[in-house]
Formats: sequence, C-alpha cells, structure tokens
Amino acid sequence: MNILSATSITGKALDAEKTRVDITSQNIANANTTKGIDGKPYQRRVVAFESILDEIAGQNMQGVRVSEISSDKTPGEIVHNPQHPHADKDGNVQMPNVNIAFEMVDMLTASRSYEANLSVVRNARQMAAQAMSIGR
Amino acid sequence: MELIETGTAFALHSIMELVASLFSSDNYTAVKKMMDVAALRHASIASNIANVSTPGYKRVDLSKTFEDELRGRIERGNARDISDITPRTEVDNLAPSTRADGNNVQLDSEMLSMTTNTSNFEALTQFASGSLKQLRVAITGRTA
Repeated sequence: MNILSATSITGKALDAEKTRVDITSQNIANANTTKGIDGKPYQRRVVAFESILDEIAGQNMQGVRVSEISSDKTPGEIVHNPQHPHADKDGNVQMPNVNIAFEMVDMLTASRSYEANLSVVRNARQMAAQAMSIGR
Repeated sequence: MELIETGTAFALHSIMELVASLFSSDNYTAVKKMMDVAALRHASIASNIANVSTPGYKRVDLSKTFEDELRGRIERGNARDISDITPRTEVDNLAPSTRADGNNVQLDSEMLSMTTNTSNFEALTQFASGSLKQLRVAITGRTA
C-alpha cells in the first residue's frame, strides 16, 4: 500500500482548481472589455470539471480534470452611454456578461478547495514520515 | 568444539523463532493491516476532496462490509485470518446530496475524517515502533 499514491489525485485537483482561479481572474480583468479580439464584447468563460478513474491510486479512486472551458453566451447588459467609443448609433453600449460578485464567489470557492487539497498533501506527507520512523 | 557450534546454532535458531513469532503475532499483523486500511482511507478522502466541485461525483469510502469483516476477524484474533483480508472501497451512493449537481461530498466532514485518520495512523505507527523497540531491548539488554 502506497501512502503517496493519493498525491497523483491531489495533484490533478490542484491543477484543476488553479485553472478555475486563472479563468476567474481573466473574467474579472475583462469585466469592462466592450471590444474583445473578435470585435465583440467579452464573454465570461466557464470552467467545467470531470472526474477520471485513477487506477494507480486504487480501486474506485477518481482524479479530476478540466473537461471544458466554454464561453457563457448570455448577453450582457446594454448601457446607454453615447460618449463611449464603442457605442452604437443609438448611443447604447453592449457590456460584457461578467458579474463581479459571482466571479468573487467562484474565486473564493476555488481557492478554498485548493487549500483543502493542499492539506491532503500535508497529511499524506505526515503519514509517510511517521511510517518511515517506525522502529526509531 | 563441534558441540559448542551446535549449541550456538540452536540458540540462534530459537532467537529467530522468537523474532518470527513477534512479527506474526495477532497484534502486529492487525496493526499492519490497519495501516494499509488507513492508507486506503486517505486515498479515498483525497479522491473526495479532489472532486468536491465535480458535478455528479459520488463519494468513495471504505466498503462497509469490509470494515465489519475486519472487525470480526480481529475480534476472533487469528493472525492468518487478519492478514488474508484485502482492503476494498466502494462508491457511497447512499450519502444524501444537498446540492443541485448531485455531488454528495461534504468538505468539512471529509477534512474531519482525514484528521482522524492521520491521528489513527500515528497511533498505529507508535504501536509498531513499540514492538520493535521491545525487541531491541530484548536483544541488547539496554533500554536506552
């Protein structure tokens, strides 16, 4: 039985949660981008996770990976602001569909999950150290 | 001269038997098995915590039938019986899901069982260490 085999699962989870934080930061950074590289207002990105069987770690053990990073197609708010360079002929600006409050919650959840996974690694290391000191 | 050699060989043989009996004692075998179990439980907790945000994930835990079986075998106290059993896990579909996505992992209870499990493992390593230290005292005759 290998105590450190579980770290392969945890490593994947840390990777996935990190991606989630990265995407959230991208969304927050572009909360006011009315013209993206495609010429349209920025659309928030959504990360989806899926679990994968990790037979190395043991029977039924499941790692996690990012299955998809997709764009949220919901249209954003339309703001009347004739001074805006990206305003249409009626003076309306199509804003991105990013909701800062929502992104902050997502970021907190991701960083808490990251911490939880880190503490799994800490515990595994502690157990391995104890096992190695048997007989001393 | 030959007689002395035979005597030494005999003494050596009984020491080997003593050591072997210590390593195959009920308690020592049970401790080894329970350390395996703790390591497997840690892996399942790692899997659960890793998948805390995965929609539809169902938590993994040690098989309930396995736990009952191990307890029964330890109570019967037969070393070979204990070492024969293989720890196994199962997907826990019965735990209620409080979330819309069907995931039934509760982060706090997983963290709690992880801490408990780590302390358990520490107690088991202390016991294993203790048996080995006793053996060392028996061999060397020194306590320090």
